[in-house]
Amino acid sequence: MIAKLRELLGYRELIESLVVRDLKVRYKNSMLGFLWSLVNPLLLMTVFTVVFTIMLPNVSIPKFPVFVLCALLPWNFFHTSVMGATNSIVQNGHLIKKVYFPREVLPIATVSSNLVNFLLALPVLFLFIIIFRVPLTIWLVYLPLVMAVQVAFTIGIALILATVNVFYRDTGVIMEVIMQAWFFLTPVFYPVDILPEWRTLWGIALPIRRLTYILNPMASIIASYRSVLYGFTNGSPPAPPAFDFFSRTIVTSLIFLAVGYVIFTRYSHRFGEEV
Amino acid sequence: MAIITVASVSKCFHLRPDRPRSFQELLVSTFKQRPRRALEQEFWALRDVSFTVEPGETLGIIGPNGSGKSTCLKLLTRIIEPTRGTVKVTGRVSALLELGAGFHPELTGRENIFLYSSVLGLRRQEMARRFEDVVAFAELERFIDIPVKFYSSGMYVRLAFAAAINVNPDVLLVDEVLAVGDQSFQTKCLERIQELRARGVTIVFVSHSLDVVRSLCDRTLWLESGHLREDGLTEAVVAHYLQRVHDKDEAAAMARRDVERAAQSVAGKPQERVDVRSMETARAAGAAPAGASSSAQTDEASQELATGAQPESSTDPLARYRKRWGTREAEIVNVRFLDQDGRERLLLTTGEPMMIAIEYIAHRRIEAPAFGVAFHRNDGLHMHGSNTTLAKFDIPFIEGRGEVRYTTDVLPLLEGTYYLSVAIHNVAENQTYDYQDFGYKFGVRLGPVSQRFGTIYIPARWEHVPGSAEKVREAGE
Repeated sequence: MIAKLRELLGYRELIESLVVRDLKVRYKNSMLGFLWSLVNPLLLMTVFTVVFTIMLPNVSIPKFPVFVLCALLPWNFFHTSVMGATNSIVQNGHLIKKVYFPREVLPIATVSSNLVNFLLALPVLFLFIIIFRVPLTIWLVYLPLVMAVQVAFTIGIALILATVNVFYRDTGVIMEVIMQAWFFLTPVFYPVDILPEWRTLWGIALPIRRLTYILNPMASIIASYRSVLYGFTNGSPPAPPAFDFFSRTIVTSLIFLAVGYVIFTRYSHRFGEEV
Repeated sequence: MAIITVASVSKCFHLRPDRPRSFQELLVSTFKQRPRRALEQEFWALRDVSFTVEPGETLGIIGPNGSGKSTCLKLLTRIIEPTRGTVKVTGRVSALLELGAGFHPELTGRENIFLYSSVLGLRRQEMARRFEDVVAFAELERFIDIPVKFYSSGMYVRLAFAAAINVNPDVLLVDEVLAVGDQSFQTKCLERIQELRARGVTIVFVSHSLDVVRSLCDRTLWLESGHLREDGLTEAVVAHYLQRVHDKDEAAAMARRDVERAAQSVAGKPQERVDVRSMETARAAGAAPAGASSSAQTDEASQELATGAQPESSTDPLARYRKRWGTREAEIVNVRFLDQDGRERLLLTTGEPMMIAIEYIAHRRIEAPAFGVAFHRNDGLHMHGSNTTLAKFDIPFIEGRGEVRYTTDVLPLLEGTYYLSVAIHNVAENQTYDYQDFGYKFGVRLGPVSQRFGTIYIPARWEHVPGSAEKVREAGE
């Protein structure tokens, strides 16, 4: 295990090269390449802003564009990473079949290149933060940590799905649907406090809000981003995420990372034959 | 210490034709009753193979198709892992498996070189130092900064080869990829491989081209259906391998012909036997499986033989020349090719004795007949023709059954496929009794005489007399 991790470390230049390749290919053929990657979140932000402040004015959330964008960007990072990583092994079959290198390099590189994209989009978010006069506080120091937690969780999921996709090739199709559902189940364009504390379904009382956090690590991660960047819907300024809540999120993410890594390395020796 | 250690390695591939390959199939298959048979077949590509390679050694791996050569190479690259046993390779491994496999079409040649080298685990600065070499070797100075999707396939392969060979490998694995680029580039590749070899790079070389193996490798492994059959000095292993391949070809061809002959005698049409026989010969010769290749030429020869294996000999390019005419007062009923031990052969050897036995039956007494033979190469070239009259060999008469033998001590035909025409006519050549044009087909392989250029083998000697021309002449007198 340690040896494997050390080997992976030895291949960090390959990850770098793959990330550079990814970004170059992505932006090469369009002058506005990078700007294009911003179009999607900005458009979505606009749509949600229009829907929730003009069409449904009774949901009153201050500074709505910042509220939604500080969740949309991390979500986009997660979405594109997961979808890309799911295909990463199969797509690079030509490499897998010809050269040896630690296979986990591929999903990790996919997540990394999407992370770079995410980082490049952050200035736009800060632009909106300044325009809407959301206070920039000292708690921004938590941002890298929150991002690290998300990266860990995303890589964990990516490793699992990349493995599954080698053996069951329609994983990507299924994930497309699941990600859509996941998006709606995650408080991205609505605040988590809008959820009822308790709800009785078929005679069973369900703690909806708690369940959202427990069952959906992305909900906790998004909530952390929001608490650090935006603050709260009642207008209170940004604050660090609650300690116990955030520690649970960290532990959950690390567990996903570990499980993903174990599953991946368990099956990766068969990739050369299955791809 | 060995740089490559392969210890009792077995590799099993599971062939599961009905394993679900998607969730959709998985769902369907849980509801559908399937027959349990054929659920899983095992294919052992390698069985208990062990060998070691010392640093600086050049190892060849030979064997027929499906013997496990490529699997062996893939195990060395760690692309696949052994089912049992261990493979240990120390140092950087560069494999010339499928050239340019890692290239991305959108990236430029320069970017691809760096990407490729990092795939092989080379540091960026290290590659930067060799970069000029790579580009110069690939002869792509002018095009290095355009995306490789605009490259011609030749440029692409040159770049790939240059990149793969310049990553300063400790171990170089080569799998039959030298047939790329033009002649001069191929030569350059081979030279570079020789150079690496001289520099002490360990090379493992898988090839069907025994000539290249012979010229490059000190030691050779012979794999056969997954087993390591022989491991030793190249000359010896290659010789044994060739012997075995030819024996096998011959046996297969004979077996096939015997089967057909048996079928024929059951059908029982003796008068048509010759015609059928000639086709049989063609077909039987065709039964020889390709793989007995000691050079590209052999490949062609085997290919040629293989096409003859079609039940309908329409694929045989010279089939349309096959004709038979004559009065049939005397008939040729069988022709056999015999080697020096008197064994019947369909594949003969250059430089060795050959006897052609022509069995005839004369339905009446014929005075002063003449027997003739003619050899054509499979491209239609008339190699030789002769008859008993020309050879001043008198046969006073024939009546009933008999056999005429045509013997040479040194078969001068080079590797390839040949056709034999046989005929009986009278000495004056105005009466033809039986003429079978292109009636019999046989193969020739290179034997110990490694002559392969030109059309025929001339059993000649070389001598060297040093000194000035006059002295030599004096000495001669």
